[in-house]
Amino acid sequence: MRARSLLPALAAGLLFAAAAVVAQGQVAVRILSPEADQPVFGNTEVRIGVQTGLPIDRVEVFLNGKLVGTTKTAPYRVQVDVGEDNIPREFRAVAYTPTGVTGSDKVLTQAVMINDEMNLKLRALFVSVVRNGARALDLGKDDFQVLDNGAPQEIVTFGRDELPLTAVLLLDTSESMQGKQEAVRRGAKAFLDGMKPSDEAMLALFSDRLLHFTPFTSEKSALEPALASTPAAGGTAVNDFLYMSLKLLDARQGQRVVVLFSDGSDVHSVLPAADVLWKSRAGQALIYWIQLGGKHLSFTSSWRDFKANDREYDDLERAIRESGGRILAIDRLDELEGAFRNILRELREQYAVGYYPNNAKGDGKWHKLDVRVKGGARARTREGYADYK
Amino acid sequence: MRVRADSKFQGGPACGLAMAVWLSLGLTAWAQPVPGTKGGTGTLGLRAGEKLKPERIEEIYRRVLADWSAGETERAPDELIELESAVVSDADAGTRKVLLKSEQAVIHQVGAADLEVLVPIAVLHHEAYRRLLQRGFQGHALAMIHTRTMARDLAILYNEQSGSEGAGLVSSRLLTSLGGLLQQSAQQLPAAEMFQQAVELDGKNIAALLGLATIYEKNAQTETAVKFLRRAIEAEPGNPEARLRLALNLKRLDQKTEARKLLQELTVATEASWVTPLAFQELAQLHVEGGEGGGLEDAEKVLQQALKRFPNDLRLHIQLAAVLDRRGHPGEATVLVENALSLPAGQEASARFLYNSVRPDAFAAARTFLDENSRSRLPVLAQALGAPPPQAAGTGVGR
Repeated sequence: MRARSLLPALAAGLLFAAAAVVAQGQVAVRILSPEADQPVFGNTEVRIGVQTGLPIDRVEVFLNGKLVGTTKTAPYRVQVDVGEDNIPREFRAVAYTPTGVTGSDKVLTQAVMINDEMNLKLRALFVSVVRNGARALDLGKDDFQVLDNGAPQEIVTFGRDELPLTAVLLLDTSESMQGKQEAVRRGAKAFLDGMKPSDEAMLALFSDRLLHFTPFTSEKSALEPALASTPAAGGTAVNDFLYMSLKLLDARQGQRVVVLFSDGSDVHSVLPAADVLWKSRAGQALIYWIQLGGKHLSFTSSWRDFKANDREYDDLERAIRESGGRILAIDRLDELEGAFRNILRELREQYAVGYYPNNAKGDGKWHKLDVRVKGGARARTREGYADYK
Repeated sequence: MRVRADSKFQGGPACGLAMAVWLSLGLTAWAQPVPGTKGGTGTLGLRAGEKLKPERIEEIYRRVLADWSAGETERAPDELIELESAVVSDADAGTRKVLLKSEQAVIHQVGAADLEVLVPIAVLHHEAYRRLLQRGFQGHALAMIHTRTMARDLAILYNEQSGSEGAGLVSSRLLTSLGGLLQQSAQQLPAAEMFQQAVELDGKNIAALLGLATIYEKNAQTETAVKFLRRAIEAEPGNPEARLRLALNLKRLDQKTEARKLLQELTVATEASWVTPLAFQELAQLHVEGGEGGGLEDAEKVLQQALKRFPNDLRLHIQLAAVLDRRGHPGEATVLVENALSLPAGQEASARFLYNSVRPDAFAAARTFLDENSRSRLPVLAQALGAPPPQAAGTGVGR
């Protein structure tokens, strides 16, 4: 089984270490993603690391010899739709300095070896383990057992705090948040400050509209101004922007998470929470909700009556729980910073457990997951997933 | 449009004091500063809690009316607020009776000359109420209710005394505007009462019909909402908001065929309004939810069409992405969302927010109508008061 021998290193996307010393006047280029020998399909992000003492004018990306994108600013990334054909592909990146010095790198990706009985999609589970009231951080691969619809699975990748984190901080900036923005800014900053250089985040400030957003970046300085400068206005459309965030994470690598902060429930979304639930089941991202004000209160609007709004809340809560994330209810704004920090710590302390489901059929059916840990420790991870191709 | 009634004033205001007053905002009003004034005093030099004799109240009220009739549109409503807030205390409902009696006495005098003076006086109280709402009314709840009740009762009285169709239109607009102010401050029940009275005076008052329908819609009384929306469409067949709301309420009642037809008509209407993207969204959702002839494919077609008309609408992009995901095209959906992020971030309220809010423009027509009708009667009021004629200005019906 070729796919098994080509296990994607879970640490895909790690920064270009560039340990080798780059000779003066030279340009060292490395394609960080996609990785060699991996199959790639559809919309693919090509990430390029460049190390040099010289200024860089541009980086060009070629797919099978054809120029498909140019980027001029670091971090160097180009989105390429490589199509759905199951074929090997050659990616080449060339960096140019203004004086014409160049450096390049090449990566060959492979086709998937099709096996009708096996879906080659790696399932990555992020597992929090608590033993005697404290997180257990000393466990090994053999301490875990993964049951997928009751069937034991072979764990093929295992680690903790090794994967780069990709986070969307989805922050409610509706009118009810007026006067609370400084606390939100401090909370989000606490999260950003805890990020490692290989981590990335984007900020999305929303109400009933998307008021401000940043691209994914590991540059904290690019994120913080957005927090300070966006005035609160409008209503709340959690579902729509949570769905958007999950979609954006679809194209990312590593440990993916949406951290939602909101003091209220959805009122103005076009998408029902059932769509978020569906998306959460079909994807691999975790969702955390820092909920200011505690419990959900029934309400009515022109869009939905009390019952429908209660149903919406239940579906959203379920999507969060099933994703492996959780709701952190806080009563006071001064708890916000701690809540953001807690989430980041929890993410860092999660075990990343990867396996290829031996019972996958790609029929969209629900697979219940059960992760057991030796020694009586309690494990929490996503409750299951919808088995889509 | 200027409307003038011919009949003369025949009696005192039938201001049956509907003292269903809720004083939940605290009974410590006596010590509260007068709203909108510095340190509790305004141009009249009154202080909250000042004991004024009825004759003095009448004198000041006349002065306020004179200022209003002279076109002092900024000052007069503030003066009225100052007077009423000074006299009326939340802690003592009897203070309102004192004020009412004095104001009634003045209205009797000036109204005896010409019934038409009731219109600018009602509009003055309306404006004072609007400003009180805008500024917050802590400690002055009773004064606020008083001035709102005065505006309403004067409107009803004017219609009753006049009996003309024109008077009905003016009164209906004033009640509609008051209803709108109440609705904006989330006082649904009194707002519904105002709209109901407005509709009784003018059965084709589209703003009042829509106002009523939205209150019933918001309170999940869908059948009643449908009843008023049908009346609104009868009054103004092309009104897109009424048609959209009717479609959505019919959908809730599971009358999906008619709902779909209404939505389709709105999506093909050549003149787009804030309602149009919503019609596309809801038509697509109707397909997604498996209504008649539904399905994801139809939803996708509707949303593709919508994006051709509204290429910068982020919500349509997200909705289409969700449909594409469900149809098994997640890659396409991701690209769509990523591309949508190149759209400018929106600072304007979304259509979905507008649908669930009291839009500032919803009562603009009623207020323009009131402004015009009040302004045209200011000379009559000035004459009745023996005051100088007004400057050429509006009466300042705030929007």
